[in-house]
Amino acid sequence: MESTHRTRSRIRGAAMWLLLPRLKTPLIALIITYSVSILGLVLIPGQEPGGGVYYLSFLDAFFVVSYTATTIGFGEIPHPFTALQKMWMLFVMYSTVIAWLYAIGSVLSVISDPGFRRLRAYQRTVGRIQAHKQPFWIVCGYGGAGNQVIRFMDQSGIRSVMIESNQTRADTAKLSDMTYDLDVLVGDASEPQTLVDAGVQSALCRGVLALTDHNQTNLTIATNTRILAPRVLVHARSESDANTRNLRSFNTDVVIDPARVAARSLTQLIRKPRAFALYHELVDPDFNQIEILNVPDFGHWVVCAEDRLADNITEAFLRAEIPFCLVSPEVSTIADSIAWVQGLGTEANTLRQARITEAVGIIAGTSDDGDNLSILLTAQTENERLITVARRNKPTSEPVFRQGNFHYVLREGRIIAQEMYARITTPLLHQFIGQLEVMPEALVQGIIEKLNQRLGNQSPDLAHFDISLDAEDAPGVLPFLKTASGPEVSDLLVDPGANHPNMPLICLLLVRFNGDLVPFPGEGLLLEENDRMLLWGAAGSHHRLHLLIRRADLFESVLSSRRKTAG
Amino acid sequence: MNTQRVWFAFFTVLALTLNFGFFVGEIDNPDHHNLYEFFFALIVSLIATILKIGDRSHLGAVLLATSLVADLQLIAAAVIWGYGSQVTGDVSGSVMASIVSLAGGAMLANVTSVILLISETIQLKR
Repeated sequence: MESTHRTRSRIRGAAMWLLLPRLKTPLIALIITYSVSILGLVLIPGQEPGGGVYYLSFLDAFFVVSYTATTIGFGEIPHPFTALQKMWMLFVMYSTVIAWLYAIGSVLSVISDPGFRRLRAYQRTVGRIQAHKQPFWIVCGYGGAGNQVIRFMDQSGIRSVMIESNQTRADTAKLSDMTYDLDVLVGDASEPQTLVDAGVQSALCRGVLALTDHNQTNLTIATNTRILAPRVLVHARSESDANTRNLRSFNTDVVIDPARVAARSLTQLIRKPRAFALYHELVDPDFNQIEILNVPDFGHWVVCAEDRLADNITEAFLRAEIPFCLVSPEVSTIADSIAWVQGLGTEANTLRQARITEAVGIIAGTSDDGDNLSILLTAQTENERLITVARRNKPTSEPVFRQGNFHYVLREGRIIAQEMYARITTPLLHQFIGQLEVMPEALVQGIIEKLNQRLGNQSPDLAHFDISLDAEDAPGVLPFLKTASGPEVSDLLVDPGANHPNMPLICLLLVRFNGDLVPFPGEGLLLEENDRMLLWGAAGSHHRLHLLIRRADLFESVLSSRRKTAG
Repeated sequence: MNTQRVWFAFFTVLALTLNFGFFVGEIDNPDHHNLYEFFFALIVSLIATILKIGDRSHLGAVLLATSLVADLQLIAAAVIWGYGSQVTGDVSGSVMASIVSLAGGAMLANVTSVILLISETIQLKR
């Protein structure tokens, strides 16, 4: 804390020192012209209307010079001036007005100096960050991912502070539609001082997200944070395997490689469409429904991709035994073992060589949005029943991709944001997603059916939330935990109102105090103290649940009504 | 030789000498305290303050502070003098005494300034 404070005053000082030395000359000029003018007026004799001689007092003289210099010009005070006084006043007028304008002009030019304004804006932001009373995350880089992740976090009530080096992007970030005023530090996040100014050493800082477009910058952010604030979590984006290994070597908490995540996502989409749909509903606050894509179990895929995405997809598809043909402009490193066609995929000829007519789906994953659209349109004319997956690179191309009716749009920024969001909101969600990856598709289907049963024929927006059975969260449940025929999971999933109908909720994951994970626990499972649960269902139902677990009388009536029906 | 240093020392010392010249004399006797000398003491003190701006060293900060103290004391004295002579119409012995005592305070600040200046000069190696 001490060092933060010192840094701040040092920076505060800098702006003032930038201002003052440049005002030295105008200020001295002003003082000298004023004093010479005042002295002259005091020394020159004036004439009273009666004919007597008088001298202006210092007060009168200072008054006359002041209103002359500021061009207000009240007139000849206290009596009309003599010829000599008028001659002196001519000198006073020209010299003081010039000196005054010079001084004012210098102050204005210093204040409107772009460097000075940037410094002031920076200092004000640092001041606001230090005044925060809520926990916050530092997000470095307002690109597609940064933009998305701060919105996701905002929807969960998590505050963030942005560091962005590009002034234009920073201005856009400031105008982003959030529930709070986003603080944007315009600076280089790879400089430790910027991180310190963003509050990395503050006790309220929960973590740093390194999301800039440069691997090296993200790496530097991660190392700096490790040293500056070892307890702060670091999530970094990495776009090369070497960089990923490097980041992991000093225990970066989360390393996200968009190409790897995309390949994993696509594999899941093809092999486990239900797990994929569940994953998306859970990790993306903008997805509120389960939308299962019907993908034939067997069938040939055409993959148009290049560079690392091509390598990652190849690897993932080979492992998942998905038959595919790669369309890539350059020779792939593992081209020998797979079907491969050279080209971009924008021409029908290339696609035909990749057997588009008998394929079930196509992935347009080049790094050019125009090419991707062209690939998909060409492919659709060749084969109408294709499942289309488009990669969107630039956020500005969003309208065409949204309008294009593609089955799935791969947005790099979004998948990074989803991955990070899943880890930031609640640790339970991340644990569940880990389970989801190894869960058989039939079980996932069971989970979704279970919820649909409870939802009946309604399809409300879905949401997830977590509870802990401890004194703080669930004082109404605790007294019953030790009793015979104690509460079960199903007792939490009923409405506290009359007749206790089932609530549109299911439990996705239960974590015991000792760390044991129970994914999708059966409804008869006995609850224990300090259990944590991830629940999923209709948005808004958590209000009812929180009411139930806080009030012992409500929970008791739920328990007794169950015993009645059972007995 | 540095012209800036010359002006700096010149105005710092001149502020003290003018201030001293105004201060000496019987404290409540207006005849012993010249109005014009006071005017120049104030102007020179203001200029000395401006010259001290911009030195980021610790000594520079203290010099600036002492100078600001002197300005404050002299401006207070000027306000009292102006009020006495223009509003009540007469600079009595007691009004003069408070003007001179304020100027005396300013002189102490100026003495501090000069001492700091001298000590800094002595520490300089050729």
